Amino acid sequence: MARRPEKLNVLITGASTSIGRHLVLHLAGDKKIGSILAVARHEKPYFFNDLPPDSFTYKTCDILKHRELNDLLYSRAFKNAKINTVVHLAFHSGVTRGQKVHQLNVKGTKTLLEKCIENGNIKKFIFKSSDVVYKLAPDNPVFLDENADLNFDPDADQWIKDRVDADMICRSLMDNKKMNIVILRMSNIIGRNIAGQLNAYFDSKPIFKTMGFNPLINLLHMKDVIQSIRLAILGRTCRGIYNIGGVDTAPITTIADLAGSRVMSIPEPMLPVVNWFQRKMQLTKYYYSVDKDRQKYTCLLDIAKAKKNLGYQPEGRVEF
Amino acid sequence: MNKSQRKRALAIARRLLPPEDYERFLGININDTGFGFDQFGLEKETTILAMCVVQYIYKHYFRVLSDGIENVPLKGKAIIAANHSGVLPIDAAMVASDLIFKMDQPRILRSMVDNFMGFLPFVNTFFCRLGQVVGARRNFRDLLQSDEIVAVFPEGAKALGKRFTQRYQLYRFNVGFIELSLTHKAPIIPTAVIGAEEQAPLLLNIKPLARALGFPYFPITATFPWLGPIGIVPLPTQYHIHYGKPIRFFDEYPPETVKDPEKVRMLADQAQIIVQDMINNGLDARESVFGFQES
Repeated sequence: MARRPEKLNVLITGASTSIGRHLVLHLAGDKKIGSILAVARHEKPYFFNDLPPDSFTYKTCDILKHRELNDLLYSRAFKNAKINTVVHLAFHSGVTRGQKVHQLNVKGTKTLLEKCIENGNIKKFIFKSSDVVYKLAPDNPVFLDENADLNFDPDADQWIKDRVDADMICRSLMDNKKMNIVILRMSNIIGRNIAGQLNAYFDSKPIFKTMGFNPLINLLHMKDVIQSIRLAILGRTCRGIYNIGGVDTAPITTIADLAGSRVMSIPEPMLPVVNWFQRKMQLTKYYYSVDKDRQKYTCLLDIAKAKKNLGYQPEGRVEF
Repeated sequence: MNKSQRKRALAIARRLLPPEDYERFLGININDTGFGFDQFGLEKETTILAMCVVQYIYKHYFRVLSDGIENVPLKGKAIIAANHSGVLPIDAAMVASDLIFKMDQPRILRSMVDNFMGFLPFVNTFFCRLGQVVGARRNFRDLLQSDEIVAVFPEGAKALGKRFTQRYQLYRFNVGFIELSLTHKAPIIPTAVIGAEEQAPLLLNIKPLARALGFPYFPITATFPWLGPIGIVPLPTQYHIHYGKPIRFFDEYPPETVKDPEKVRMLADQAQIIVQDMINNGLDARESVFGFQES
């Protein structure tokens, strides 16, 4: 008799984030998933109240605190759930700076990753990275694959540096024999209640863009974010880095037009000042300093590897 | 452009273009991803608007004549390999226009532009909307995989800075296009462009200045900088474009040949000889550089 495949039991950090919420709710209805242990710094949010207690557990934990993390990874809940997969989503998505933010983004990722390897029962660690880790330059090809240069610019914003550092930490431990590490580098996630640079940009009134440039950008629907993470969880042998892109690709002005926003092109040197004023007047949550290259140069992800190895096929079209 | 801007662009084009040309341009197909652009940023309406201007240059300024257009495939991937010259890359624009004006089913020629174009505001976006991409090997590969027709100038951008005394003498071809042709089984259409080499007779290339400015060359021509900005305007030579029979090295050589640099070099040399022969034949057949009597 063929042996039934072992169910996948998943720990999700950053479960109270928008992606975490969608992922938990999606996986809760997936027959291939056994139990889910959702972890976040906040108390259990209301949207998890209806999930069945036999397959879903919620724990508060600050992954920066060794004691709390140890308690979690050696807790009864963890053992009972037989966790074998970790999805790491705990990351500051807004442009907030400072040591605390850096610690969660980089140190938090490192600590969690090392503890997971040390634990021995965890077979897979999935890290949601983003396309901001790539270096943008005018001589880049239109499509960037997973081997494209990363942004090691010393003058880059902390928001970018943290993402590059965390990505590099996961990458550096990818050769370990105990656990498969998967990095999903996602393009711009667009949707309601999603904190992100691009969402903030298209919500700005009006949108200011760099004069003379109108690069193509790719939009990723939440449906595809969840699909890619699910495929990474289910792919038993999958490891490595995968670019995840969406269906919709268009220039900034076209997307802004569809979003019903007015676009004003202004010379590049004026943009930091205008953006500062806009933020002070609470007309935007967008930080130009983070995205200045993205306003000029196209960054589209080559998703051929994800299609081939994960079976990923983007489906979600962004509705405006 | 948004929908209303596109409508307006087409209305302008209809006013400016002869009806048969307008209909022809409307027949251009692009791989629209859903927003009116292809995946590389090409926009049909921008191309049609550009053609409103380019048609005058093509028909009345350079009075382009061509033969062998039947050698260019109506669909599927192909590589147009041509000689390059004339300080400004007008030869590429004229070959691209020729494909749009002469082919039974007009096709947009995709060219690789120099990296420094990517830095330039407006130029960057304009080139992108016309279907031109930065000269990265990856872009070349992606275009061929999308069944596009791609122009290569295997002599490299430095050939634009060829001195007048070296006109119609090809620089040694780079091998990249041979490798991609073999890998992707794309036929090479050898192409000779006659006329471009006399449009801006280059006397001197000031290399240190070019390096300082980040340009591939800094030209001193018969007219530039002596006549100021007007000196940049090329002379109205007549263009003759000859398309040769497709070269299908991949029928004989498998894709693994790319691992053998000597063979690839040999094939690039063969392609160079074919283009050089076509140039020599074209020069023999040409009656005058400016061709005003003929027109």
